[in-house]
Amino acid sequence: MHSSLSNLRLAGIAVTTGSVVRDYIADGRAAGIERAVLERNSKTLGLKQRRVATPGVTALDLCADAASRLLNELGVDATSLDALIFVTQTPDHPQPNNASLLHGRLGLSKSAAAYDLSMGCSGWVYGLHQAALLCAHGGAARVLLCAGDTLSRLTNPGDRAIDPIFGDAGSAVLVEKTGRSAPMHFVLGTDGAGAEAIRVAQGGARQPAGDLVEQTDADGNRRHAANLCMNGADVFSFTLREVPTAIATVLRQAGWEAAKTDALVLHQANTFILQSLAKKTGYAEAQVPMGAFERYGNQSSASIPAAIIEGLGGRLEAESLRIVGCGYGVGLSWGAFAGEIGPLTVCPIQSFPR
Amino acid sequence: MNRTDRLHALRQDVDALVDTDEGTVLATLPRWDSLAILLVLSHYEHAHKQAVTGAQIRACRTVADLLNLYVA
Repeated sequence: MHSSLSNLRLAGIAVTTGSVVRDYIADGRAAGIERAVLERNSKTLGLKQRRVATPGVTALDLCADAASRLLNELGVDATSLDALIFVTQTPDHPQPNNASLLHGRLGLSKSAAAYDLSMGCSGWVYGLHQAALLCAHGGAARVLLCAGDTLSRLTNPGDRAIDPIFGDAGSAVLVEKTGRSAPMHFVLGTDGAGAEAIRVAQGGARQPAGDLVEQTDADGNRRHAANLCMNGADVFSFTLREVPTAIATVLRQAGWEAAKTDALVLHQANTFILQSLAKKTGYAEAQVPMGAFERYGNQSSASIPAAIIEGLGGRLEAESLRIVGCGYGVGLSWGAFAGEIGPLTVCPIQSFPR
Repeated sequence: MNRTDRLHALRQDVDALVDTDEGTVLATLPRWDSLAILLVLSHYEHAHKQAVTGAQIRACRTVADLLNLYVA
């Protein structure tokens, strides 16, 4: 699906991470893994540090902190918001949704719409599209987009292939209707036939929570049915197949060339994938922010806003940049965008609790 | 690129395959793991503009099998 929406702007952005710093090499050594193996993985994949949430802290808490800091910095009263969109696959409860809970916490007006989008690593772009749609055509003047996950809770510590990858974070972005006409372009897509590549089998209606039997796969990784399971090779293939095409399409929609854009902001899956995508899309690595992964880990739906702040925050406070971005992951799904963003209010990335 | 060149390029891109020959059995290599499979995928993508799957690579027994994935 292709879409171009006008008369909106991003007014501000904030990200809050979990407060526990996990070091890849130290954790691996504690698990009895050879240092040489860990250093090889660290060098190739960019595995260095990640931030995970303390026990009891959820994606809702992290997004609430980011949203409060953002609204406070912008001087925006929560009662002036017309809608709240919450992107997550780690909600506090099956019911009610996180958006309603955050609506209550922040004190939004009863006339404000609040709903969740169940999306993962592509979810921030889907949320941005929804917020843009509401501002462009849906009668909203201000939409708060929150996106966050605590995927570290879903991985098994015995799954050395994916457990060291994920960090926990929540983000908040305020999208406003303006008279400005520069459009933001979107390309959204799904490959449902590949849905099994990233999966948590147990815990939903099809396979309710029950007894958990841990199993070990051919590579020696342990997990049970309520753990996140990912076929890394299939996800890598999917990413190299779909993301460059989506980026090329959204660039065409915008009438831009890669070399004349300021940055390509990608979901921070890992450094190896980011480098591969830079190479395949014709972007110089200097145009592709990658630091967020090495500092915070793969933050699922919060990783693009974290990469924006980490890589472009200083510039975005002062100027407008031509930014192309793409999220990709569970679904399998992807969402690309191209738009002129900034100047906007950028809150520094902080951990919670502080 | 002939087969010898392709073997050389593969060994350069996939650290687990350094010092191997076509007859080397992959399962005997200490670093033949999920990361090595990603590196093979990446090698085919960037060196040959060819998409191979994780299942295809996992089905390979030897380095020669990896080379046989190449489609001219």
